[in-house]
Amino acid sequence: MNQLKRYFLLISVMLYGAIQSFAAEAKQRFPKPEFDTGYVQPHTTAPSPRYMLLQYFDVLVLLIVLSVVTWFVLKKRSRKGVFWTSVFSLLYFGFYREGCICSIGSIQNVVLGMVDPTYAIPFTALLFFLLPLIFSLFFGRTFCAGACPLGAIQDIVAIRPIELPKWIQKVLGLIPYLYLGLAVLYVATKSEFIICRYDPFVGLFRFDAPYNMLILGILFLAVGVFVARPYCRFFCPYGVLLGWMSKFSSRHMTITPAACIQCKLCSNSCPFGAIDEPVVETGKRRSNVNRLMTYFVLLPLWIGIGGFAGSMMHVPLSRFNQTVYLAEQIIEHPEVKNDPKNIDVRTFMSSGKSTEQLVQEADTIRRQFYWGGWLLGGFMGLVIGTSLINLSKFRKREDWEPNKTNCLSCGRCMDYCPVKKEE
Amino acid sequence: MNISKDDKIKLAQRIAWMAAGFALIMAVLLIANFAQTKLNKPIDNKTIPELVKRLSENPGDETLKTEIRAFDLMARKAYFTSQWQIRTGIYLMFLGVIISILAIRYILAAKSKLNEIDSVEKVNELDKLVAQKWVIYVGSGLIALALGSGFLASNSLKDYMVNENIAVQEEKPVETAVDPAIQEQASTPVDQAVPVAVPTTTENAVSSNVPAETNATVVPAATIAAKPAGLPTQAELKANYPFFRGPEGDGVAFQKSTPTDWNGAGGKNVIWKVKVPKAGFSSPIIWGNQLFVTGADAQSRVVYCYDKTTGKLLWEAAADNIEGSPAKMPKVTADTGLAAPTMATDGRAVFAIFATGDVIALDMSGKRLWARNLGVPDNHYGHGSSLIVYKDKLLIQYDTNKSGKLIALDTQTGTTAWETARNSKISWSSPILVNTGSRTEVILTTNPNVNGYDPQTGKELWNIACLSGEVGPSAGYAEGMVFAANEYAKLVGIKIGGGTPEIVWEADEFLPEVSSPMAVNGLLFIATTYGVLACYDAKTGTKNWSQEYGDAFYSSPVYADGKVYITDMTGKTHIVKASKDYQLIGTPELGEKAVCSPVFQDGRVYLRGMNNLYCLGK
Repeated sequence: MNQLKRYFLLISVMLYGAIQSFAAEAKQRFPKPEFDTGYVQPHTTAPSPRYMLLQYFDVLVLLIVLSVVTWFVLKKRSRKGVFWTSVFSLLYFGFYREGCICSIGSIQNVVLGMVDPTYAIPFTALLFFLLPLIFSLFFGRTFCAGACPLGAIQDIVAIRPIELPKWIQKVLGLIPYLYLGLAVLYVATKSEFIICRYDPFVGLFRFDAPYNMLILGILFLAVGVFVARPYCRFFCPYGVLLGWMSKFSSRHMTITPAACIQCKLCSNSCPFGAIDEPVVETGKRRSNVNRLMTYFVLLPLWIGIGGFAGSMMHVPLSRFNQTVYLAEQIIEHPEVKNDPKNIDVRTFMSSGKSTEQLVQEADTIRRQFYWGGWLLGGFMGLVIGTSLINLSKFRKREDWEPNKTNCLSCGRCMDYCPVKKEE
Repeated sequence: MNISKDDKIKLAQRIAWMAAGFALIMAVLLIANFAQTKLNKPIDNKTIPELVKRLSENPGDETLKTEIRAFDLMARKAYFTSQWQIRTGIYLMFLGVIISILAIRYILAAKSKLNEIDSVEKVNELDKLVAQKWVIYVGSGLIALALGSGFLASNSLKDYMVNENIAVQEEKPVETAVDPAIQEQASTPVDQAVPVAVPTTTENAVSSNVPAETNATVVPAATIAAKPAGLPTQAELKANYPFFRGPEGDGVAFQKSTPTDWNGAGGKNVIWKVKVPKAGFSSPIIWGNQLFVTGADAQSRVVYCYDKTTGKLLWEAAADNIEGSPAKMPKVTADTGLAAPTMATDGRAVFAIFATGDVIALDMSGKRLWARNLGVPDNHYGHGSSLIVYKDKLLIQYDTNKSGKLIALDTQTGTTAWETARNSKISWSSPILVNTGSRTEVILTTNPNVNGYDPQTGKELWNIACLSGEVGPSAGYAEGMVFAANEYAKLVGIKIGGGTPEIVWEADEFLPEVSSPMAVNGLLFIATTYGVLACYDAKTGTKNWSQEYGDAFYSSPVYADGKVYITDMTGKTHIVKASKDYQLIGTPELGEKAVCSPVFQDGRVYLRGMNNLYCLGK
């Protein structure tokens, strides 16, 4: 295994250097050539949108894939079937559809549809958002197992997964909530679709990405060799929603098709740490209850302090908004007004707006971030508080069971169970 | 042929190694390519700039042009070949990585049906306690980080807004424009002017809407020409310098023997130099022996009249006690100030306008004829449009954030002769008068239109939507063609007269932000804020030449005696021959910053710097 690690480390370093060369060169653009022959530079054209029929075809494909993978998980109990379905999803939704449309990004369309009355959310985007959630509500996260191209590409490279200590999983598990909160905040302030902008794999699907994102995607894959599906587990904001739905799923997959025989063969099968072991309460019950009660009492405090801290972050957070960034740039560096290469400034200058108007607009947006910061911080406080409550709760468990929130329904554990389904 | 499982595994191992090796080789080649292009970037080829520099010294050298093109083509080829190599290399490397991963997966699957993960030792309750501890640590850390970054982050938007408000409260918006270093030059040996410090007298205004109290300095009557009767003739206007950018407001001065060599700091060819008491960006105007400029600060707005020959201050008149004039100065930026518009004169009176919306008419001895306030313009930089006179009408462009209009005031009484609403956004351009042969038009530029109006009635004659942004440059005109431009928009040549006006050509390579286009002898000159002076063929829009000087141009080019004068913001005046080929005549320096346009009269140049007014020549 050490040899493998060295091998991938080497490849990663090489990839880094090579891609850096590509990206570095990409920045060095030649100016437009000067022609004395009356040549007219062609206008930039935008690609036409995908035909509506084909958009619905994408929804149909998603529905079929979700149905097939659910069938493989629940009925056939076939890991191989799940794997090859995910390969299909990778090829179709990843490389053919170039990572767009995707359910993860559709969160932003839904939020924008809610906050902006002038924005009509495409029905196909709404379906991409809802279908996986509905399937999760009934059957668990089968979308993650076989329909998500981002999950599929990580699953393929998960060659030597290692198990992470629980505390690392818990701490890193806070990130998706933060990412989800930030994504909602930036959409609600009409600033940015950060999920799409910082999708680490879309550049690989398109063979074209900004330098940083390409490196990020490759690093995710390199890490994913040992830490299975790092993006899905520790970053994916949609995974938060799927986890919430899956928690209540009535027909979630089980490790064993019949009664567990306590053989423990499945105990080391899950690369995602999503199998809950049998537990019996240890330690003093009173101290356990006291701790739980303390966490309950502290929950409003976490929310309050978190909200205040979030509101304090409104200035740096709002700098990712283009209007705020532009206004600050013009205030702090007025000379940019004379920079013909600064496209943003040029666009602003040609709009006819004054700097004062721009600053006022930016200030309005910053105030939105102030209140959004309260909500985001409060949400994160709630997440931290409830994580502590969940960690101190005791629930007696006698068998090895998939954790419904975190289980990705990949089906690996099923292969380990010696109990076979009765035909 | 049956291949055993072991053989399959061995084959997969070889494929994995070969694919990995291939990917590694590609990675090494890509790194080598990167290193090579890093060391020798085609885009940084030093030869081309050197050749271009040589070409600027000898613009007609066709061999050099061909050589530059060949080098340019070679550099581009090298660049794009390098790009192709990198792209192809990346694809191949990815292919190697994918094959290697697939082979490894096959090997792992073939060797063992079930792959257990590398597990860690688990003690459920203890793990939970440790996890709780870490969640508390990280949660607290996140909160501390958020609080810390929040406290440290400076809100420049708030600071900006607060500062703007302070500027309004302190009523000193223009004082920031004064450079103390320049102020010290007021007592240089060449300063021959004697500031007039005389008691003020009370004059009664002619206009009924002007209050009784006005201030004007005593006028030495002998230096002032007698008021001529009737309206000024074309010959009179051309012999003087009555408006911004010359007798027709188009940047053409009908003057001969204009000087080309001076040095403001050293005193070379400086006939006189005076410090203008109050700051202002209005250019001088001249009628007879009198030269007029305006200056203003939060306390007062003043018209200054100087003896053109000696630089002696003849009189000054404050634009005060005007009904409707605001008690608190409007908010203006330092680079516009309260006295940016250039005055106008018809030889019978002089007219001035300030950022307060105050318009004042004074006779040639400084006696107030009338004054009125047009309403404080809602202008986020400050009103900047200069005045022009057509017969008995004073024409005022009044495009503000609230509305746009062109106003004509009766020069005798100040009453409104006509007022035309303009479908325009705020702009800072000045009106120019053009004679198309069949009629006289007043031309204005704004966002989005270039308009032609009848100066007698104010009726809009035509309009063409072609501009955008905050339009500062005024129009240029020559031989039936109007030229309009704005930065971030485009440069257009509009054919007017004889049919419907239409755009006959467009260009966008060099665009001015403040400086106005000037056309003469079939040539069009454009000066940009990034320091380029460009010459176009006025008929076709073909670029004849461009020259980069590096320092921004706010002033406008002026044609005089076969030469084009353009002063950059450092005070250097670039004098070039008005011809299809670039030919620099001289680059005399004022010795202080300048944004005003040069003015020509009787073989001399009058140029206003940030603080001082200069008469240059021999």
